[in-house]
Amino acid sequence: MTIQVLRSRALAAVLACAGLTGLAAAHHSFAMFEFSKQISIHGTVKEFQWTNPHVVLWVDVPAAAGETAGTWSLELTSPGNLTRTGWTRRAFAAGDEVIIELNPLRNGKHGGALVKATQVKTGTVFNTNLRDMEKPGLK
Amino acid sequence: MLNHSSFDARARWRRRTGCAIAVLALCGNCASAAETVLNPAPTAQDWAALAKLPDWSGVWTPKISDQNRRIKADPMPWNPQAAKQVATMAADEAAGNPRGLFIDCLPEAMPSWMLITHNAMEILFTPGRVTLLGESDGNRLRRIYTDGRGHPVDPDPTFHGHSIGRWDGETLVVDTVGVLPQTFLAVSEAVGMPNNGDLHVIERIHLADSETLYDDLEIIAPRILTRPWKTTRIYFRQRARKYDIVEGVCLQGSFAERVDKNGNAVFVPVPQADGNPVPIESAPPK
Repeated sequence: MTIQVLRSRALAAVLACAGLTGLAAAHHSFAMFEFSKQISIHGTVKEFQWTNPHVVLWVDVPAAAGETAGTWSLELTSPGNLTRTGWTRRAFAAGDEVIIELNPLRNGKHGGALVKATQVKTGTVFNTNLRDMEKPGLK
Repeated sequence: MLNHSSFDARARWRRRTGCAIAVLALCGNCASAAETVLNPAPTAQDWAALAKLPDWSGVWTPKISDQNRRIKADPMPWNPQAAKQVATMAADEAAGNPRGLFIDCLPEAMPSWMLITHNAMEILFTPGRVTLLGESDGNRLRRIYTDGRGHPVDPDPTFHGHSIGRWDGETLVVDTVGVLPQTFLAVSEAVGMPNNGDLHVIERIHLADSETLYDDLEIIAPRILTRPWKTTRIYFRQRARKYDIVEGVCLQGSFAERVDKNGNAVFVPVPQADGNPVPIESAPPK
């Protein structure tokens, strides 16, 4: 039995046991996001997943928010690129109140490509535009 | 801009390779009788010679907007079979179909790393070698031999192929063969074709100005293209320390950091839907 088979069986077993619904930030294209649409959510950080190839910010939006209530997975570029645009793995932590601008998933589920994240307690704004790095000698 | 014809370079490489094959053919049993080839220890002179090369230090970030512009302005000359498949993939991408080329986290490989990356790279000069180190897919590394060797007659196919280089003034001319046929010639992370074999890439890498690096590529992919395709990719130099390359292990994002029942820090696989995010309805995996 190959390692790959073992690995996929192990994964299947884990999924079957735990009944998890979660996110795997595999190296994927961003085709699933609706870039012509931008929405805003206001909630609390559940987890900040500082992983390659895509960092993920998980945000809980309270029931009072209505349609946007629930847990959101917001995807970003890689830790390397985010570091260069001023992010750190300490930028967000569980419990932080945040306002997120995002391009939502086309399928209407609670996920999106993160455009801008604001730490409410400090007012610090984090952007994600890699095109800002398209010149040499940046500080 | 190209200041030399890469077709000329291609012809030169072919002549060299041809000569090497001819010598081997004449040699008959020489291969088995040949002595082991040693990579000599570099001399002080070898190290000193590196100082005469152009300064390619620092971190090079890709010009993503130019990647996109060039793909639209100068699309790859796909052959009819490939064009049909590419059109289907492009329509899928436009429709928001999340299937991508690299969701399994295998390396983007040559030449797609150079063509579509959004991540930075650095370039190291050592005697007889130029090494390109990238980030993001965990195994992004190109070894370009500049010690005068040729390609192996029958190279083991790899993701980045077998690369030999030589300096033409301040331009590094790189010739790459032996790339796995399953690797993609990618238009984007969602659209591309396996090269299907016989891929040959010729690059002329050079400074366009003191802080801008150009990689002029000629991609010869006879199984999927109707003619050699030439394009350029642009990189900007950064020296601020926050731009340093960081480790990037592609599969790391497929695991959550958790603590097991014994109190050990562990990675726990989290679900994938076709390798793409499954928006959670409740919470990240516990």
